[in-house]
Amino acid sequence: MNREHLRSLFTTKSARVDTNKGEEYYNSLYKRCRARLDELKKITPMRNIDIAQVLEDEGISRRDFLKWASATTAMLMLPASFTPLVAEAAELMNRIPVIWIELQDCAGNSEAFIRADGPKVDEIILEIISLEFHETLMAPAGHQAEAQLHDAVEHFRGKYLLFVEGAIPVGRGREWCTIGASGETFEEHLTKLANDAAAIVAVGTCATFGGVPAAAPNPTGAVGVMDVVNNKPIINIPACPANPANMVGVILHYVLTGQIPELDSLLRPKFAFGYRIHDNCERRAHFDAGEFVEEWGDEGAKNNFCLYKMGCKGPMTFNNCSIVRYNESVNWPIGAGHGCIGCSEPGFWDKYAYERPMADANIKMAPNGGVEKSVDQFGLALLTAAGVGIAIHAAASAIGGKKEGEEK
Amino acid sequence: MSANYQPIKRMTLFMRLNHWVVFFSMIAAVITGLYIGHPYYQTLISEPAAYKFVMAWNRAIHFYAAIIFDVSSIVIAYLYFFSRFDKPIKKLIPTKQNLVEFWEVFVNLVTLNRVKRFDSSHEDSFHVVYFTIFHLLLAWMLLTGLQLYVLGLESGMSSIGKWWPTLLHLATDWTVPVCGGTKMDVRYVHHMTMYFILVWIMFHIYYVVWRTIFWREGDIAIVFGGYKFKRVKK
Repeated sequence: MNREHLRSLFTTKSARVDTNKGEEYYNSLYKRCRARLDELKKITPMRNIDIAQVLEDEGISRRDFLKWASATTAMLMLPASFTPLVAEAAELMNRIPVIWIELQDCAGNSEAFIRADGPKVDEIILEIISLEFHETLMAPAGHQAEAQLHDAVEHFRGKYLLFVEGAIPVGRGREWCTIGASGETFEEHLTKLANDAAAIVAVGTCATFGGVPAAAPNPTGAVGVMDVVNNKPIINIPACPANPANMVGVILHYVLTGQIPELDSLLRPKFAFGYRIHDNCERRAHFDAGEFVEEWGDEGAKNNFCLYKMGCKGPMTFNNCSIVRYNESVNWPIGAGHGCIGCSEPGFWDKYAYERPMADANIKMAPNGGVEKSVDQFGLALLTAAGVGIAIHAAASAIGGKKEGEEK
Repeated sequence: MSANYQPIKRMTLFMRLNHWVVFFSMIAAVITGLYIGHPYYQTLISEPAAYKFVMAWNRAIHFYAAIIFDVSSIVIAYLYFFSRFDKPIKKLIPTKQNLVEFWEVFVNLVTLNRVKRFDSSHEDSFHVVYFTIFHLLLAWMLLTGLQLYVLGLESGMSSIGKWWPTLLHLATDWTVPVCGGTKMDVRYVHHMTMYFILVWIMFHIYYVVWRTIFWREGDIAIVFGGYKFKRVKK
């Protein structure tokens, strides 16, 4: 509610996904991208890595790489003619410095980002980006780490992409969470680094909407990056964890065009969050048929029935996991037999992540929590109260009421 | 005491038809809406998914009921101002006369018809206010419902053209921040508003029956034949 970004909800532009913007638009975009890539090529890379060599070492052929490039072009909602540009942009990704910070988080997005088991193209591409600072991954610690961060900021002032993972405590927990020897609060740390960034990418639901740390009763007063920083372009990549394909997509888009991708009202890139899980779900036919899993392991579960009655929030959740999936399209939650928990939506832990149909969600009956009831329990109480009131009035009328024309 | 009864027209044919269309739409919308929120009947029918559309039919009926409701609401809103029969808006303006009438009808209800200081033959302010609450609840249902509906039209296209999702976004996107900031809040509110409408209906039916019994002017006949009766003393 207090997010000024919600104001943009009043524009239809924020919700609509335009997959075809016309030949003229793409021709001029192509020219701009071409010029941008030529410009980037002139820059000496921060890390001298030859992507062709890295891919070969990992056992991925040029052909596989180009297949990946065409899939990514499609994911970014660009015409097929952009495929060579996307491949080239992937090769130039080591020109873009990235600083990655962690706040109130579980490092799950870092985990998704490095993907320790059997790296595929997405993960390899992420490994070759010029990652200048990442607390979990780098060797230095303490003062050395701070010095490293300081150097990176000095060197790439106004040029680096700041990846933020984790929520920012701005309430009572403000003083509980500090970082480094100087005891900076998370808020100070983020604000300082944000001031010198080209753009900020909030990765994961904690960094975008507060996520799990912000779940009721939100003891630390956790919020997302967009509630703290308001002087820089912000791209939100929610989900728990964020899909590496979407992180690569955002960086690639930035390398390719020098701009942030088109965003929706919650600042999520439309190429990834423009569509509803439900509309591209492989179990959708079972939803329309009214075939639902009634309990874990029942006949319906064995037949891949719809998980709506087990609490699937696909109908309310915007993300591309039903298309892109995870771990190089191996599987995703619904494919594995559990409903969507709406992890890319604001307030997901309180409002989406329960194993009951939507109608049975617990809602807070008082503004600050207190008694939780489902809407139906509240409604039945309301109907009962009305019934009691009517019964009292009816009984009183029967006993003491005066009918028109009667003498009393 | 003998009295002559003079018929008084209170509802036109169109108003009565509208009432019953709304009545059936409401029943359909509640039954299917509860199913959509929590599918409450058995689904394991031995037939492939391709041949049955239990949820799809529930949703279709819900949307048909809703769109009939919406059109009816728009017509009623028009008639509030421009009806040639009886403009309800006249009884809604807080003039002194209307405020007094509202108070008197309310007093009549809580004193169990022992005090009756108004002319009950025509539509009164209390009743018009009560119906206005209903229409506002319906409008709120319309806006939240269409917001939930447009979530599935993310391509910006529909079978009747681009204007439809565009219009829906323009008209209903503001309900998201108003309900609490997420799409799920819109769903809660849509569900909860149903209960307020059901409470409204409970009192509506009770009040009409109560008036019929205690006012003895055949109020319940209005919605069937269009007329009630007024006593004329000989």
